[in-house]
Amino acid sequence: MNASPFHSQSSAVPLSRRDFLWQSGGGLGGVALASMFCGEESARAAAPLGATKMGPAFGKAKRVVQFFMAGAASHLDLFDFKSELIKHHGKPSDFGEPVEAFQNGLGPWLRPVWDFKPYGQSGKMLGEPVAALGGVVDEMAFIHNMVSKSGVHSAATLLQATGFQLPGFPGAGCWVSYGLGSMNDNLPAFVVLPDHRGFGSNGVKNWDSAFLPSQHSGTVIYPGTEAPIADLFPHKAGAFISPDGEAEGRNLLASLNRGHAAVRPGDQRLEARIRSYELAGRMQLAAPEALNLKDEPAHVLRLYGLEGGPESWPKEINAKEESFYFAQKCLAARRLLERGVRFIQVWSGNDNGFPRRNWDSHEDIDRDHGPLATGMARGCAAFIADLKQRGLLEDTVILWTTEFGRMPSSQGGKGRDHNPFVFTNWLCGGGIRGGVTHGESDQWGYKPLDRKNPTQVYDVHATLLHLLGIDHTQLTTRHNGIDRRLTDVHGHVIGELLA
Amino acid sequence: MVPLVVLLLSVLPVFSLRASTVDFAREVRPLFEKHCFKCHGPEKQKSGYRLDVREIALTGGEAHAPNIVPGQPEKSPLLRFVSGEDAEMRMPPKGDLLTAQERRVLEAWVAAGAVWPAGDSVQVAAPTDWWSLKPLRKPEPPSREAKPVDAFVQARLAREGWTPSPAAPRETLLRRITFDLTGLPPSPEELDAFLADEAPDAYERVVDRLLASPRYGERWARHWLDVVHYGDTHGYDKDKPRPNAWPYRDYVIRALNEDKPYAQFVREQLAGDVLFPGATDGIEGLGFLAAGPWDLIGHAEVPETKTDGKIARHLDRDDMVANTLGTFCATTVHCAQCHNHKFDPITQEDYYSLQAVFSAIDRTDKKYFSDAALTASYAKMEGALQRAEADASALEKQAEKEAGEALVKLDAALASARKARPAARAEAGFHSSVSAEQGVLKWVQVDLGREVAIDKIAFAACYDDFNKIGAGFGFPPRYKIEASNEPGFKEGVQAVVDRSREEQGNPGTALQSVSAKGIKGRYVRFSATRLAPRKEDFIFALSELLVFDGAGENVALGAVVSSLDSIESGPRWARKNLTDGQYPGKESAGTDVAALEKERAALLRTASKPETLSKLAAAKADKARLEAERKAFPPPKVAYVGAVHTGTGSFRGTGADGGKPRPVHLLARGQVTQPGREMVPGALGVLSFRPARFPVSADAPEGARRAALADWVADPANPLTWRTIVNRVWQYHFGAGLVETPGDFGRNGALPTHPELLDWLAAEFRDGGGSLKNLHRLLVLSDTYKQASASRPEMESRDSGNRLLWRQNRRKLEAEAIRDAVLAASGKLDLTMGGEGWQDFVVEQPAHSPHYRYDLHDPLDAKTYRRSVYRFVVRSQTQPWMTSLDCADPSMRVDRRNESLSPLQALALLNNGFLLTQAAALAERVRAEAPAPADQMVGAFRRVLSREPNPAEAGELSRYAGRNGLEQACRILLNLNEFSFVD
Repeated sequence: MNASPFHSQSSAVPLSRRDFLWQSGGGLGGVALASMFCGEESARAAAPLGATKMGPAFGKAKRVVQFFMAGAASHLDLFDFKSELIKHHGKPSDFGEPVEAFQNGLGPWLRPVWDFKPYGQSGKMLGEPVAALGGVVDEMAFIHNMVSKSGVHSAATLLQATGFQLPGFPGAGCWVSYGLGSMNDNLPAFVVLPDHRGFGSNGVKNWDSAFLPSQHSGTVIYPGTEAPIADLFPHKAGAFISPDGEAEGRNLLASLNRGHAAVRPGDQRLEARIRSYELAGRMQLAAPEALNLKDEPAHVLRLYGLEGGPESWPKEINAKEESFYFAQKCLAARRLLERGVRFIQVWSGNDNGFPRRNWDSHEDIDRDHGPLATGMARGCAAFIADLKQRGLLEDTVILWTTEFGRMPSSQGGKGRDHNPFVFTNWLCGGGIRGGVTHGESDQWGYKPLDRKNPTQVYDVHATLLHLLGIDHTQLTTRHNGIDRRLTDVHGHVIGELLA
Repeated sequence: MVPLVVLLLSVLPVFSLRASTVDFAREVRPLFEKHCFKCHGPEKQKSGYRLDVREIALTGGEAHAPNIVPGQPEKSPLLRFVSGEDAEMRMPPKGDLLTAQERRVLEAWVAAGAVWPAGDSVQVAAPTDWWSLKPLRKPEPPSREAKPVDAFVQARLAREGWTPSPAAPRETLLRRITFDLTGLPPSPEELDAFLADEAPDAYERVVDRLLASPRYGERWARHWLDVVHYGDTHGYDKDKPRPNAWPYRDYVIRALNEDKPYAQFVREQLAGDVLFPGATDGIEGLGFLAAGPWDLIGHAEVPETKTDGKIARHLDRDDMVANTLGTFCATTVHCAQCHNHKFDPITQEDYYSLQAVFSAIDRTDKKYFSDAALTASYAKMEGALQRAEADASALEKQAEKEAGEALVKLDAALASARKARPAARAEAGFHSSVSAEQGVLKWVQVDLGREVAIDKIAFAACYDDFNKIGAGFGFPPRYKIEASNEPGFKEGVQAVVDRSREEQGNPGTALQSVSAKGIKGRYVRFSATRLAPRKEDFIFALSELLVFDGAGENVALGAVVSSLDSIESGPRWARKNLTDGQYPGKESAGTDVAALEKERAALLRTASKPETLSKLAAAKADKARLEAERKAFPPPKVAYVGAVHTGTGSFRGTGADGGKPRPVHLLARGQVTQPGREMVPGALGVLSFRPARFPVSADAPEGARRAALADWVADPANPLTWRTIVNRVWQYHFGAGLVETPGDFGRNGALPTHPELLDWLAAEFRDGGGSLKNLHRLLVLSDTYKQASASRPEMESRDSGNRLLWRQNRRKLEAEAIRDAVLAASGKLDLTMGGEGWQDFVVEQPAHSPHYRYDLHDPLDAKTYRRSVYRFVVRSQTQPWMTSLDCADPSMRVDRRNESLSPLQALALLNNGFLLTQAAALAERVRAEAPAPADQMVGAFRRVLSREPNPAEAGELSRYAGRNGLEQACRILLNLNEFSFVD
């Protein structure tokens, strides 16, 4: 391609991107690799460029797990304790400035719905439903001054998931897959474990590859279901397929394809496609094995609270059901991480519909946040403890996020309106310094304490990439006239959070 | 002499300060280098500002321009910034400020006129000195011997000492041209006919046949829909269906099949309603403006007065601007949203001028008829009706004013009697499913838990602003109340009250009560025997049902409620709300709203001026007459387009303001919270073939702005438009454009490989009337197109991208072509054209956020066997199988599709229900066509690959089919590399 007499910004054949990157020395240099060919290349990804000047946490992580609470989880009732709200509970809210709330939910101050207690060495205050995280709280680092650019679910969800408020940009996992590839050819590099009820705002737009090659899209997996991965095995319309016919057919296909390619030299796509069928066959073996949660010993199932298996649940949202499904995803995530999946996104919460099936508690924090948070905390705590006991926490970075927070004032008495002005993230493992807090919210949890220096998703993403050994300004691709990157034109690595 | 000397002496000190005390090169430039160049120098130009280029330093500075005002240091923003006075805007932003001495030097330099020798500057190219912005001229082809396309291509090859490849074999050529022009494989019959046709113009006649086929428009419309990011849902949160999007899709197919002149195609999509009044295409083409995603929540739940509402509307216009300039002009104008374009001569002002073009319109449903006269009279009727409604409401207000204080008091009493709104909002009540018929019986009942001797029953209607109904929403005009001990009300039914024989007045939200005289029963049922009208349908809603026992206690409070049906939607509409103790009229129980309303009407009749009352009566009569007139019209057609929207609530549009454009301001850093100057409509200032700021008067109808933009884009002198379209067409025939970045002809895009060929084609196309079919002929009849695709090592090593076209490119079929070719092979392809999109998913939970469940679709459903271009395109849940085959993402503009190969793609082709169903259908088809198994296999091979198998292939496949069945063999055929690639 470089021999071409023309400067060419976009690669005509995506598979040659690898050569392009190696030869051009531009972009990410030697790091961004096509995941299909990662087996031979991942060693290079492990020793990224410029590691020395970036500090000890640079490149500490190999994997990412992102927990996403769809619908906007309340920082005030779970992680960001505000004694002022208890003191002023029920008094008319006064923000000292006019406030635009999404549904004008500016009722009296509403105290945290649950009691908070200190946990761990750090004495971090946690709300009752997330008390399960108390045992691992010293591993966690909190950011209490996150701000969003939008109070509308869709735009704000896209912002946290892709770094942009509009659809049409790759998810963070796509960028990581694009930059680092997979560590196991037989499994996708980027896996998405959606809420068992369905997708959140924007659906697949939160994890599809947009202008990156499509193999970097998140692959949706529903652990514990009949067909956890689409098309992994023949649809029932393929009842005519016999085991012998399948095996012999794959060989015949490969042989005919090789004959076809032999008289068409010079087109590496033909060989790549033959190889993609071999990989597909290996994925058919690897994926069911990876997702076979029954393999786990009893003590591990107990750790996750999965010893009982699925049952039938009441119609109303309830802690038992949330705990089961969330823990099932956490356990599946751990097994996938162990087998080399690079980035896993775990969702809690479906769309913003009724009856509430996500974190959008306009009406009643207790009713929805109670079970959702209990289930989430139970699963996350088990997951963190499990990674730790296996030594995986060292090189796996965990990010817990949501699209925005909720208001300190009440809405309709028991609910809270959207708060895009401040919310909480936490991180853990993979080079993150545990037991610290970066950035505070103000006395009400309404806006950042230091309004001029909030934390934005760009900073969190820059930090994630830094931990993975990627300078966030270098991981770029040209699209529609702009060198696009996950962090747009923003982002600073948050030094305070690094071990 | 003396005076002159005096004059000189007196001027001299000033003069010397100007000219000799501050030397730019020696004193000023080093300061810039030291403090400013890091961000505003040769490497970086933050905010597009640089202090190494004289012209930009003295005139630029975005919102602060000019940054340097010669002779006026106090007015020069640069000096204010470097002073550090303004903490928000100090320069340099971090680190040490300039020293006092350094600042004095700068100040003196500016005071003295900011003298900057012209030679002491980095020279930057003139903004228009860029290939795509230069006027389009038609170069002479380098030779008359060859066809023009070949002449240009071969001349370029010759410069490298290279030769073109020989023509591809005829069966290869037929498969290539058939997929290219129609997106389908040639049938075995077409293959045989072509191979047997020895006439020299055989190929040319094939091209003509394919261009004349309706399949051509279907194929090429899909390319166009990629570019404009067409979809059948809104996207974003909820992702509601957009049921009237498809007329635009059909318009594109029709326009291509009719070979509509390109300029007209452009004009119809930007301003068809204005430029082609009364024409169906002029309306449906406007679907272009509405093609992209739409943030329903940001519009419908957040008003334009809130920041989030402003952002939503700003981004909505951004999509229209980017879509227009990207599609037609290959310009990345969206890069100038926050600052001037970093690479191309596009200013922020250009960008917001373009936003101003679209500032009156929204994405909305528009009603029209095929008959232009009917559309006109319908529009006239709607206008008159809107006026009559406005008149009636104004006169009503007038009458109320005349009725004076007495009415004010009465209205206050009424308001408190209704006490509707505050209590109505949250716990509204029970709401039946919607019915198309008024006469359907619907019931709701409470279970008191035990048999109760009922003393009294009370009930309250709801309040809801839907269709301006308000108090008494959903209350049935006929109803009855019964009690029973049997929940099915089949036996022991006792009537409490029966008001089903004649129409009852609507009680508003006042609590109504009826005596039950001690009737005993465990269940109390309220039945609507005639439903309440809503808009175009009927419902039954009730806020509260109270059942009092002898002790006066409401024993129904909290009771379990059941009903024939219920919408159960949100917190407001739920069965349980019927017994939650909350209802709108609670506070004013006992007040008779109906009586107060009667009183009010009487007061108006007597207290208002007779003249007002007669005018009001006339306006109301007008309204009634026009409403009747509206009913007499046939149902209008509806298309989802970019147009003036008239709505209610947060999404009101500009219709109520007569379509007056919203003011658009230049937004500093793209922030809606930082509006600057108001913009006039316009386009790119760097091009001068037409005024870049449109001469459209401020009070002209909004359509004039779009018409001006349409004229600007379609102008024969626009250097971008014609190059852009011919390059796009080239790309779809050759796999890559002459410019490899079809959406970016700027400095960040690729350069044309054959600039003269591109210009020749663009000029030829433009001057020949903009016929796309003629353009196709120019390309596909060329020897360059017909070349074999085989690699040639000596050239591969020097031009592996085949940018010089020493062969044709082997192309991977797109998702739609694969799917359509599978259906063509299996014989299941349904060629029905147009209309609503087919859906290969099941929709769950449609009321709020529809879940599009592709996994629940039955692949045997023949309704989904139409061509892929007619698929209902969902944005948030893209069709997984098509997506794995690199189908265009409808949420973003796709100038060129991704092309990937992955294990997941292999699995999709091996195992998906669609493919397996069709493999079986193909087997069945060829079995029916030939009795002998060997012939069946050959038949399948010909249908899938459009050629004869060689004996080895035929043997292997036949043996496999013999052992494992024809179905499995067909599955293998459909997974072959050869099927997915076109040589």
